[in-house]
Amino acid sequence: MARRSYSTHIPDFRYITYFAESGNSIVHSMNPWTKAALLFFVVALVSVVMDLYWLLVILALTVTFYMAGKLPLKLLIGWYTLPVFFVLSLSVLFIFTEPGTSLLRTEIVGVPIAITDRGVLLMLKLLVRALAVVTISISLFMTTKYSHIAVVVSRIMPGTLANIFLLSYRFMFETSDEVSDVLDAMRSRSGGLARGMLRQSKMFAGIFGLAFVHAFDRAERIAKAMEARGYTGEFPMTEPLPMPSAGGYALVAVGVLSLAIAAYSRYFDKGLFGW
Amino acid sequence: MAHIHLEDGAFSPLWLLVWSLIAAGLIAAALFVNRKEKIPPRKIAIAAMCVSVGFAAFMVEVPTPVGPVHMNLTPLIGMLVGPSLGSLVALVINIFSAAIGHGGWGMIGANTIVNIAEIVVGCYAFRLFRLRLRAGTFGSGFWATTIALTVGALAVVMIVAVSEIQGSQLSREETLTNTLILAVVNIAAGVVEGIVTGYVVSFIAKVRPDMLGTGRSPSPGGTAHSASPGGIGHG
Repeated sequence: MARRSYSTHIPDFRYITYFAESGNSIVHSMNPWTKAALLFFVVALVSVVMDLYWLLVILALTVTFYMAGKLPLKLLIGWYTLPVFFVLSLSVLFIFTEPGTSLLRTEIVGVPIAITDRGVLLMLKLLVRALAVVTISISLFMTTKYSHIAVVVSRIMPGTLANIFLLSYRFMFETSDEVSDVLDAMRSRSGGLARGMLRQSKMFAGIFGLAFVHAFDRAERIAKAMEARGYTGEFPMTEPLPMPSAGGYALVAVGVLSLAIAAYSRYFDKGLFGW
Repeated sequence: MAHIHLEDGAFSPLWLLVWSLIAAGLIAAALFVNRKEKIPPRKIAIAAMCVSVGFAAFMVEVPTPVGPVHMNLTPLIGMLVGPSLGSLVALVINIFSAAIGHGGWGMIGANTIVNIAEIVVGCYAFRLFRLRLRAGTFGSGFWATTIALTVGALAVVMIVAVSEIQGSQLSREETLTNTLILAVVNIAAGVVEGIVTGYVVSFIAKVRPDMLGTGRSPSPGGTAHSASPGGIGHG
């Protein structure tokens, strides 16, 4: 499959959808409701668990889940760039001020600053949490067909929101292609985004202004087509979703149990697992 | 820009719940307003298009000496589709962003609150400058965006300072001091986005003024788009 994306470190929905539609693995065949529940449990667990070792266990489990989906690890590592950057850029604000034993001390313009052990630990925890959730989230979208996502979204979201979500999912490919085209054209003429942001605001205005104008024109055509096809406020779902299998229910039960134990040990018995 | 780039686990479960509930309340209010007006397919399609353009803009990272920044476009979305539909657009953009690790799933609530603030302020500030103060298109877009993103940046500081980073030993005051640096960077970036948005609004006003509700323009087919006050109709 030809790959077009803004960069190698930003997940591309076209690529994600390609794997979801064409993949064949145990994770692909898993019920979407089970996968959605697993996403919820991972998000809840990384919010409740405070111990770095347990967080690493959660990360290892999510990476195993990703690999069970027969998805390329190299791609995931490239896509880790975004969350890693966000965690690091925020950690800069805390890593020097967090109380603890000083690991590295220096002076900047006469002001002493130090990296502390607790600051580093905090950063590591934030990083592991972020990577665990990103892994399970990308796994979910790379192994679930659009038609299945459509059913789940239309069940859990109010009608208007679900319609906007599903339509925008479809529009995403065209819009991202359009923006990619403009960026490719800019780079092929030795243009640069950094220079553009500072000196060529008009160029950016052209890119985004044109994208919005085209988007509105396209939306108006699509709306007419929707009305012509008898759109009544909701999209018909052609592919019904079966209930989760016994294995799916077992996974959800494990998730509930893990979350209950983690919450109990954090809020009621701090000595249970050492946090 | 004024977007909480915190990943999951940064806030305690209690604060995740608090921000999610507030965001849910705001979205419920937006849905109520939209339901009252019975959204036509055209508005739904336009909102979906705004999501896809907004999401595409989120993904274009611009390298700067202090790290990559990206356009937010939330004030512009507010100007184009209004506060109620814009709030729904903000939520959907945040869901897509969370799906690929651009902010956590648990942060959707906090991010949506910030983005709704930007959309609402962007929309009404633009109307104020354009219709009441009779400012030019560029100036209206610039000031509305800069003010909206400043409000968003301060909302980010407030949310992070109140919630505190889970596991951090810093007090609320110390967290506030630290995140103020982030706010200064975000506000500076907001001014740049204000300039870009000013040009975008000027561009749109020239080719499709009906999108902003400021006049009439010939469509490619030769017919005129009717102008509605405030773009496609603001709830």
